[in-house]
Amino acid sequence: MAALPLARSFASSSSSSLLFSNLASSPSTSLSFLATSSLSLSASTNYSYASPLLPSPRRVSSLCSTSSSSSGRLVVSAAEKKKVLIVNTNSGGHAIIGFYFAKELLSKGHSVTILTVGDEASDKMKKPPFSRFSEIVSAGGKTVWGDPAEVAKVVGGESFDVVLDNNGKDLDTVRPVIDWAKSSGVKQFLFISSAGIYKPTEEPPHLEGEVVKASAGHVGVEQYLAEVYESWAVFRPQYMIGSGNNKDCEEWFFDRIVRDRPVPIPGSGMQLTNIAHARDLSSMLTLVVENSSAASGNIFNCVSDRAVTLDGMARLCAQAAGKSVNIVHYDPESIGIDSKKAFPFRNMHFYAEPRAAKDILGWKGTTNLPEDLKERYEEYVKIGRDKKPMEFALDDKILESLKVPVAA
Amino acid sequence: MGLQVPLGAWSGEQPIYDELKLQTPENIFQKEEKDLRLSDGLLQSKQCGKLIFSPQYLRVLPCIGCYKRKVYQPKGALHVSASSSKKILIMGGTRFIGVFLSRLLVKEGHQVTLFTRGKAPITQQLPGESDQDYADFSSKIQHLKGDRKDFDFVKTSLAAEGFEIVYDINGREADEVAPILDALPKIEQFIYCSSAGVYLKSDYLPHFESDAVDPKSRHKGKLETESLLQLRDVNWTSIRPVYIYGPLNYNPVEEWFFHRLKAGRPIPIPNSGLQITQLGHVKDLATAFVRVLGNEKASKQVFNISGEKYVTFDGLAKACAKAGGFPEPEIIHYNPKDIDFGKKKAFPFRDQHFFASVEKAKSLLGLTPEFGLVEGLTDSYNLDFGRGTFRKEADFETDDIILGKSLVTA
Repeated sequence: MAALPLARSFASSSSSSLLFSNLASSPSTSLSFLATSSLSLSASTNYSYASPLLPSPRRVSSLCSTSSSSSGRLVVSAAEKKKVLIVNTNSGGHAIIGFYFAKELLSKGHSVTILTVGDEASDKMKKPPFSRFSEIVSAGGKTVWGDPAEVAKVVGGESFDVVLDNNGKDLDTVRPVIDWAKSSGVKQFLFISSAGIYKPTEEPPHLEGEVVKASAGHVGVEQYLAEVYESWAVFRPQYMIGSGNNKDCEEWFFDRIVRDRPVPIPGSGMQLTNIAHARDLSSMLTLVVENSSAASGNIFNCVSDRAVTLDGMARLCAQAAGKSVNIVHYDPESIGIDSKKAFPFRNMHFYAEPRAAKDILGWKGTTNLPEDLKERYEEYVKIGRDKKPMEFALDDKILESLKVPVAA
Repeated sequence: MGLQVPLGAWSGEQPIYDELKLQTPENIFQKEEKDLRLSDGLLQSKQCGKLIFSPQYLRVLPCIGCYKRKVYQPKGALHVSASSSKKILIMGGTRFIGVFLSRLLVKEGHQVTLFTRGKAPITQQLPGESDQDYADFSSKIQHLKGDRKDFDFVKTSLAAEGFEIVYDINGREADEVAPILDALPKIEQFIYCSSAGVYLKSDYLPHFESDAVDPKSRHKGKLETESLLQLRDVNWTSIRPVYIYGPLNYNPVEEWFFHRLKAGRPIPIPNSGLQITQLGHVKDLATAFVRVLGNEKASKQVFNISGEKYVTFDGLAKACAKAGGFPEPEIIHYNPKDIDFGKKKAFPFRDQHFFASVEKAKSLLGLTPEFGLVEGLTDSYNLDFGRGTFRKEADFETDDIILGKSLVTA
């Protein structure tokens, strides 16, 4: 058991190749385990990944040195208020992120403009969170609408300290925003990517730095951003719950549970997924804005502390509703069902952990599904959705082929 | 040249930083360019295997993981050094965990005694261990022969010796621990090997140290021991491993897969094979046990200790194949409810998700496991099964029942 050379310690583990800096995991240098374990690990600061564009020797040596001056990187200058622009999508599961983030920033005294894609008059704006944008305005935020490709015009030539793009899924869409931000002196650029870009693995969870699908549109944006920007951060979320959500999440389960319908779940129901309350995403984003140098150059899985199984989610929703649940499993292929249409979550393990945010920023998650779902259910009933007449065509098709009765 | 890191690199001593200061990213880049090869369209450092960016996306960077890892210390990493030599008792220590732990402690300069019935040899030379190291270890390790279930003997013999630190590696029941505490009123620390098996089964994972435990579990003796330690208010630390693996493993974890892979047999895995479990290398566990010694941050704390990544059952079969240089295995899924195995166990893992977060140990103690899964399984294979050694003979009886059935059913 002699000390293994450096190369050996990184014998390929299929799923843990690093792409971006992987701070959170991966085996450390292979010391012989027999080496003295009286390790004097003096409390030291975190060193963020050096921007690929500016690896000056000076910067490198500051990374290397153990001098206490580098500890300044983690100090939050609470007094520093930022001017933040959020470019927000006008629909879909991510729309809620901009809404929570805007409100949190405003509550902390930062100034916020939220640019929603499209027209203020469009039908899309009648749905939450857009229907609640008055809350942003009354908190002192500005709401504008337009085409992100013409962002300078839409924001009326205003300048910002921070830009969050919570809209684009490919470089064509985000590049104009990045380019404008850089030329107008925006210091920090944040991008909402997606944990969906991780290459599926048999060694969960997905960790920051692991291999992503090169073909994914978001990857192009991430790479371009890292290339042209000095202070950047990328966020990879999964699913969200929260008041003001634009896309159904827990509602899908509530719809069936309150109507005493079976809940059809594809596969074994053991698939793990990560469902976070939108406030967790917002708090992570805010922490990054307020700790820009520590956060710079990093990827953050923007998810909650825990994963839940698909069956588990059904059970938690039923618990929140105070009802029982009848889960029915099916094999989508053999029935000829596209599970993407029939079910709101991926039919596979889809599980990332927020280790970079915890390690680098000391971020703490607060999502507590059992409790949060109770609140969600209260709102579900309050808006009368439990009484709303609904069609369950795909469910019926599934249940019929399984010969499961619809009524309990 | 690359980044040859000397032993002790992680100690944060000045020398390693001085060495790294010389290597700006440009320097490293120049050195490593010729050592790159293509994989998945991205360049990979031959030296360490970590991916770095390819030119068409970004500039090529040195394996930033290697470079960065040398300087990155997890938050909360603290000064740990067992400053003085302690008189340490290990309950057990001749079978698996203790074999590695005792060596670390002896190397640290502690006076270590193993309490065992003496049924197994007190010391055994480890595969890969030099004669010199083994001789050195054997000459220093002490043995206290006895049956820990003989509580009176435990009390008197321990009181006579006056141990300062106790590692309880094989304790199962609280009543086995009480006499130890009685015998050593001045005990400085009681370090207990508990189990993540105490957690209440959940849909909402991973298990954190603060999660609900199951008073009815098979491991309730461990829970009762933890409660006793709290009650007696000694300076205790409890470690909860998940599945432990590594050379000398007496629990057929990796061995179960290796037997089948070697025999060229399909691997029968219950249900979907998507169940997620977690393995922790015994050497990392031993390191963790040493890390908590004399560590105020570990006082009266519970820590999950295991690998940083989890793995599906199917994934584990494949990882074992990789580790042993076997071709990718044929995996057969079956419904265990359809089959009566009698008293035999058809699969060595609990048929459920079972994994725990190890971030508390990481943030409080600066503990990061050294071994990734394939790497650790390779270590186990190279030092144990691959040399022709194993604890249990291959037994494919349940496999044959399953295979017989799957030929019959559609």
